[in-house]
Amino acid sequence: MKFRFKVVPSLCIGCRTCELACAFTHAQDKKPGRSRIYPIAYAQDKYVPVVCLQCDDAACAKSCMFDALKRNEETGAIELDKERCVKCMACVAACPFGCSLVDDVHDEVVKCDLCGGNPACVQFCPTKALVYEKI
Amino acid sequence: MFIDGIEKLNQWQNECRKALDANKKKVLVCLGPGCLASGSDQILDEFKKVLKDKKLGGITLDSIKKTGCHGFCARGPLVVIEPEGIFYSKVKKNDVAEIVEKTLEKGELVERLLYRDGKDDKPIAEYKDIPFYKNQMKISLRNVGQIDPDKITDYVANGGYAALAKALTGSKPAEVIDAVSKSGIRGRGGGGFPTGRKWASCASIESDDRYVICNGDEGDPGAFMDRCIMEGDPHSVLEGMIICAYAIGSKEGYIYVREEYPLAVINLQKAIEAAREHGFLGKNILGSGFDFDIKVNRGGGAFVCGESSALMKSVAGEVGEPRAKYIRSVQKGLHDMPTVLNNVETFATIPVIMDKGADWFASIGTKKSTGTKAFSLAGKVKNTGLIEVPMGISLKEIIYEIGGGIQNDREFKAVQTGGPSGGCLPADKLDLPVDFDSLTEAGSMMGSGGMIVMDDRTCMVDVARYFLNFLVEESCGKCVPCREGLYQLHDLCTKVCEGKATEDDLALMEKLSKVIQTASLCGLGQSGPNPFLSTVMYFRDEYLAHIRDKKCPGGVCRELITFDINDKCTGCLACIAVCPVDAITGEKKKIHIIDQDLCTRCGSCYDICNYDAVEIK
Amino acid sequence: MVHITINGKVVKAREGEMLLSVIKRQGIDIPALCHHEAIEPTGNCRLCTVEITKEDWNGWKKHVTSCLYPVEEGLIVSTHSSEVMEIRKTLLDLQLARCPNSEYIQKLAEEYGITETSYKTRPDADNCIMCYACTRICEVLGKSAISAVNRGHDKVIGPPFGEEPPDCIGCLACAQICPTDVIEWSDDGEVRTIWNKKFDLIACKKCGKTIITREFADYLIEQRNLPPEYFDTCDDCKRTEVAQKMGGLVEAAKEVTL
Repeated sequence: MKFRFKVVPSLCIGCRTCELACAFTHAQDKKPGRSRIYPIAYAQDKYVPVVCLQCDDAACAKSCMFDALKRNEETGAIELDKERCVKCMACVAACPFGCSLVDDVHDEVVKCDLCGGNPACVQFCPTKALVYEKI
Repeated sequence: MFIDGIEKLNQWQNECRKALDANKKKVLVCLGPGCLASGSDQILDEFKKVLKDKKLGGITLDSIKKTGCHGFCARGPLVVIEPEGIFYSKVKKNDVAEIVEKTLEKGELVERLLYRDGKDDKPIAEYKDIPFYKNQMKISLRNVGQIDPDKITDYVANGGYAALAKALTGSKPAEVIDAVSKSGIRGRGGGGFPTGRKWASCASIESDDRYVICNGDEGDPGAFMDRCIMEGDPHSVLEGMIICAYAIGSKEGYIYVREEYPLAVINLQKAIEAAREHGFLGKNILGSGFDFDIKVNRGGGAFVCGESSALMKSVAGEVGEPRAKYIRSVQKGLHDMPTVLNNVETFATIPVIMDKGADWFASIGTKKSTGTKAFSLAGKVKNTGLIEVPMGISLKEIIYEIGGGIQNDREFKAVQTGGPSGGCLPADKLDLPVDFDSLTEAGSMMGSGGMIVMDDRTCMVDVARYFLNFLVEESCGKCVPCREGLYQLHDLCTKVCEGKATEDDLALMEKLSKVIQTASLCGLGQSGPNPFLSTVMYFRDEYLAHIRDKKCPGGVCRELITFDINDKCTGCLACIAVCPVDAITGEKKKIHIIDQDLCTRCGSCYDICNYDAVEIK
Repeated sequence: MVHITINGKVVKAREGEMLLSVIKRQGIDIPALCHHEAIEPTGNCRLCTVEITKEDWNGWKKHVTSCLYPVEEGLIVSTHSSEVMEIRKTLLDLQLARCPNSEYIQKLAEEYGITETSYKTRPDADNCIMCYACTRICEVLGKSAISAVNRGHDKVIGPPFGEEPPDCIGCLACAQICPTDVIEWSDDGEVRTIWNKKFDLIACKKCGKTIITREFADYLIEQRNLPPEYFDTCDDCKRTEVAQKMGGLVEAAKEVTL
């Protein structure tokens, strides 16, 4: 892995710009995709971004019986190969963070792929609560 | 007795020969498929019974031998008395006592059991003089009909396992492959692939494991050559396989026998056990350090499992469906390991090539198709049976000289060769030599050896429909062009037979056939349209008669023929009695009449009439 | 690395790669009904057939299914020659006769100029095109609960003896991979039914939402050594839980610095 994605939850202000950026970066056929990042309130006006952290020992990749989830060594992301995915939902059920998601609009399973190496959420986060750094 | 080397084998061979010669006379009772079905096993038992009670000099119970198919099936049950070669045909159980008394005791012939040549009705005593046998040359069938398949001593006495000993002790594996290549032998299962090249390809692939498989699935309707070899001379198959295993470096072999040949399975199993007992199979064969063993696998009743990749799937315990063969089986076959798969007849021929030499074999037959080929001659020919002839012999010679011409002296119409993958050839092609290439150029193929002769009372469209129906039933169903294409082709062909087709349908059939040939996954589909294509090429007018005139020139297709009674009718009432729908009316001594509205065209009246009064139009 | 020519253009390919993936990489669209990345190719539908030749073949051509043909140096490929188009047309015509009610086949056939089949249609036809994708994916799963049964034209896909498949775990891979949506299934509350077999769906312990069956979860836990508790809650509730945990850490950190 050459890069790493990091979350600094204390810096999150719940502006939801990351959510918007993600949805539009993954738009298909002029419809926005399901956002892979979720700013969630844990208390009144207090937010943290919940997003795939590309686990070292990823439960999603382990749960896939069809080898559709594999690590991209360059970006560090665990990528879902759309051509191999059969939508059995094993990864959706297995991920302990709930970050493998069903996109009902486009009828597919999706997960954060770090935008292929230039994560949009990182670009747009005003407080730098989301970091993508070289290791 | 464990044979641990070539000297021991020679010694044993002498012993076996001496034991056989101890009985001056031998009674060979043919227990080939046809004769056995006619009760020849009872004839065998009767001989044993009669000779047990009598005490004849020079003749013991060991003189009576059951053998495999002697060949002349049309004349069975057959009994041959050696060493003279006296040939008794259509023998019944009641004839046995007379044969023993007259021929064995007194040396006289039982005239009424002798073969009579149709041309001048002269009885011929010895089978080597009978036209059916005279023009044959037996290599793969050398022992069939001569030895008891259960006795390895018979096989050894006749030179069995000498070739194996020679190869194991005197040649390197590469030299064996060289000899097979030089002999020019091509696969006898129908594909005609050069056997030596196949063995060489397999041997050149690096692998710890490799396999030898014998294809005994013989699925072509009407073919029984492999059956007779497996039943009548199982050791020849084993010897050929062991030589192959030595040449390519294999330790494990399988013989895949179709489910419908239980006797072949039994006889092969007996032979394997006997071979193991004497050291021809198992560890350290003939003391050479080479190990090899064979298992018999039974098929499950599927024609498609004769296709090599489907066969290998079946041996591995999976569903017998073929795979695309862009990567050949010699590279990835059984269990994805390099595998040589050859036909029964091919393996049975190998020992003779090793024994008599590649040059000798190459001198027989033609340049590109060396050696001999076994055929099962069937259909409307007088002398049906099992034959083996040098390659290059003409169709005419087989059908007329050996086959004796058409039954009831009717007119020859066509000969079907190569089973469902082959085609029909008309009268003007009778001079063609029978080999791997000439028949294929003419639009048919030699195939595995099934040869069905047809007379003028055959409808070629119906023949195409019959074979297409067979293929539709036997298609594995995996790929679209074969499963759907042949199904539709058969459906359209049936439409033609029923007089419901148009000329557009015929054009559609031709177009569809081309796609099925090109796009199918395996040989079954690729050659599937052949019965239609070959008949439409040579008998197009028959198709057009069905389509345009709604007539069946062969007088076969029910919807298009009528049965009529002409003035040869003697008024015997026989047809009236047999008609299942009471369509015939008439009185004694008066010409009968068929009511066309009631007639179902079953043909019972035609079959029963002794006066040729029923005409098919 | 080998060089092959596709429709006149020279392209690179990996040694041993199947021709179809090279063709797709060029952006050339050819139908391949029985092809899917998650399963081994079998060459059932024959629609990916292409015409190949080589310079030293003296004009002789061969027609092969590109999904199963490994590339070789110097291969010359034509993906839309007249013979290939004729083959695809006839194959789709035959498929239309087999599955006249399938919109998927109707659309594909129309692309090749077939609006009505030239052949006899199958009576009581379902939409199964016998691509074997369902049986193959179940094999990859490791269960092989269904198979192709019978031979030839009577071939159907089904469980052993037409009964409830003992090995099926209700993962829906077969139903999802089917290109013509033939395999019926339903989720009714906490019960899933497929192949006439009923399965319990795991209900999220917080909100009751269901995702996969108990049998499928147990299989994954066993096969891939996953902690069983991962499957007790749904993804929505897990995200909320994670937010709570993260929030707790944020507050705790504040206290320390204070």
